[in-house]
Amino acid sequence: MSALTSELTVPIPRRPLRRSSVSVAAILAGRRFALTARTPRELLVPLLTPVLFALVIAPALKKALHTSASYESYVAVGTIGLLIPLNTMFSGISVLVDRESGARRELLAAPIFRPLLVVGNLLVAMATTALQVGVLLGFAVLRRIHFHVGGSGLLWFLAAALLFTVAMYGIAETLAARVPRSEEYIARLPAIAIVPWFLAGSLFPITSLPLVLAWFARFLPLTHALALMRWGLLHDSSGLQNIWRTTNTTAMASMSLAVVAVFAVLMTTVSIRVFARSAVQ
Amino acid sequence: MTAVTTEPVTNHNDATREAVIDVRGLVKTYADGVEAVKGIDFAVQPGEVFGLLGPNGAGKSTTIGMLTTTLVPTEGTASLAGFDVTTDAVAARSVSSVVFQDPVVDRSFTGRRNLELHARLWSVTPEQTKIRIEETADAFGIADILDRAVASYSGGQRRRLEIARALISDPQVLFLDEPTVGLDPRIRHELLDVISGLRARGQVTILLTTHYLDEAERLCDRIAVMHSGRIVALGTPTELRSELGDEILELRVDGNAEATLDVLQARGVADDGAFAVGSTLVIPLRSRSAAEAIAAVHEIGIGTLAVGARQPMLDDVYLRLTGDRLGGN
Repeated sequence: MSALTSELTVPIPRRPLRRSSVSVAAILAGRRFALTARTPRELLVPLLTPVLFALVIAPALKKALHTSASYESYVAVGTIGLLIPLNTMFSGISVLVDRESGARRELLAAPIFRPLLVVGNLLVAMATTALQVGVLLGFAVLRRIHFHVGGSGLLWFLAAALLFTVAMYGIAETLAARVPRSEEYIARLPAIAIVPWFLAGSLFPITSLPLVLAWFARFLPLTHALALMRWGLLHDSSGLQNIWRTTNTTAMASMSLAVVAVFAVLMTTVSIRVFARSAVQ
Repeated sequence: MTAVTTEPVTNHNDATREAVIDVRGLVKTYADGVEAVKGIDFAVQPGEVFGLLGPNGAGKSTTIGMLTTTLVPTEGTASLAGFDVTTDAVAARSVSSVVFQDPVVDRSFTGRRNLELHARLWSVTPEQTKIRIEETADAFGIADILDRAVASYSGGQRRRLEIARALISDPQVLFLDEPTVGLDPRIRHELLDVISGLRARGQVTILLTTHYLDEAERLCDRIAVMHSGRIVALGTPTELRSELGDEILELRVDGNAEATLDVLQARGVADDGAFAVGSTLVIPLRSRSAAEAIAAVHEIGIGTLAVGARQPMLDDVYLRLTGDRLGGN
């Protein structure tokens, strides 16, 4: 190897750094996105099950159970409630990989506000989730599944999907910070990402559940998120009515959105605190 | 200042006001009650290469953790270029870089991408980044592999990349945490050359942890020997060695070396600087000649398997300080 004889000629000014959090978050998100893009399976694998449900199982159920065509739409939206937890929880695995064999300690040694590491990862999880939801809905439209989308409906849908993604990523980041190995993380993934989906009105209304489970389902943020998404994309307020049992749709939607928003804020706060504790002892 | 002592050592004096690394009364007690660092003080001057030497569990990595702000001190203060590592942690990180013991890189990225990422995080402008990447890549012999994924690098190439990365931001303080652990001998010597080159340039203050004595002796201007969370000796390698005099007698004895040492000390053949490691006794000769000392040993009737005189090495200092303590615990 060459000896270190040359002088490094460009001195960097000695200074404490003052940078906007946005620019730092953008750098971190850019890194995370580049790493994700190098492993396309991270993007594709979470899509498989929801696409299967939306395009194969829902039409099959419709045919077997002699339900109406709207059932396909019902399930198509319901599968978003599976896609978001699956994708965000898969994103959490990359946090573990970073810790075990990646550059996490280099990032912790960087002159940045450390919670931005969580924010950078969250931004990428949101972007990949948006991409996947778009792909799922695109497939559904190609399969001639009908949606009833208005301007305000789209906003309700986007708000619900966005906040629920933020909340689920908070859970993923929290779990990744707390478990020592990726095997343990993966073992807990089905309980967090899949079990609630069966109880939250994804494939059938929560009123079809036994009474106790129906009450339990009303407390699940996913139930509220799905009801909001169906209200937004299908103009179907039955999910909201099953939760709140009133008739004022806007009030019900607002309350459900508040539930999802509180969940998002809570889980993000918890994830940052847990990350900080795990990163700095 | 006393170079070698069995008591905790400090080296603060008026000169430390300009210290780039200033550590005062640093204590770290973990949540489980383990006292990893029990109150250490030292100051490192600009351009100095300062070594923390000690066995596993001595507190070296905990000290580095506190200085790099991944561990919060339980007591005491530490600052890097005047920035307190607890109250001004971001600024302290802005003037420092770390080369970790284990590989800490994005393996799927190219070497260049890893360097660029460091530069962006440390706010190096794109123009400066471009020039410094070229310069450091040339200086560390990684220019040819810079556009390959790091996953394809050998251990030595990856470590050189990590040192180059740490220097991209032109840090005032560079932490090297056991930089040669796990590397094969050839790569290890290459890296020692690299670090010697950094020392020769004198543009960066280096804090190096190691448990390789030859590494510490070759690279460090001053060395602090850590043992059980305390600094038990601090000085230049020459100062540390000089505490054992110009020459030592090494005896391999047949029987209980500790008991033999007691006898030799009682008879005035060995002083308090002598110590036993296994079946070997190391006795500083001071003003006595080797022949006189050997004659005195035989006169007492001690059976020896091997006898030899030699100049003291840093190993002897280290073994005396840490071996004594370990034996005394």
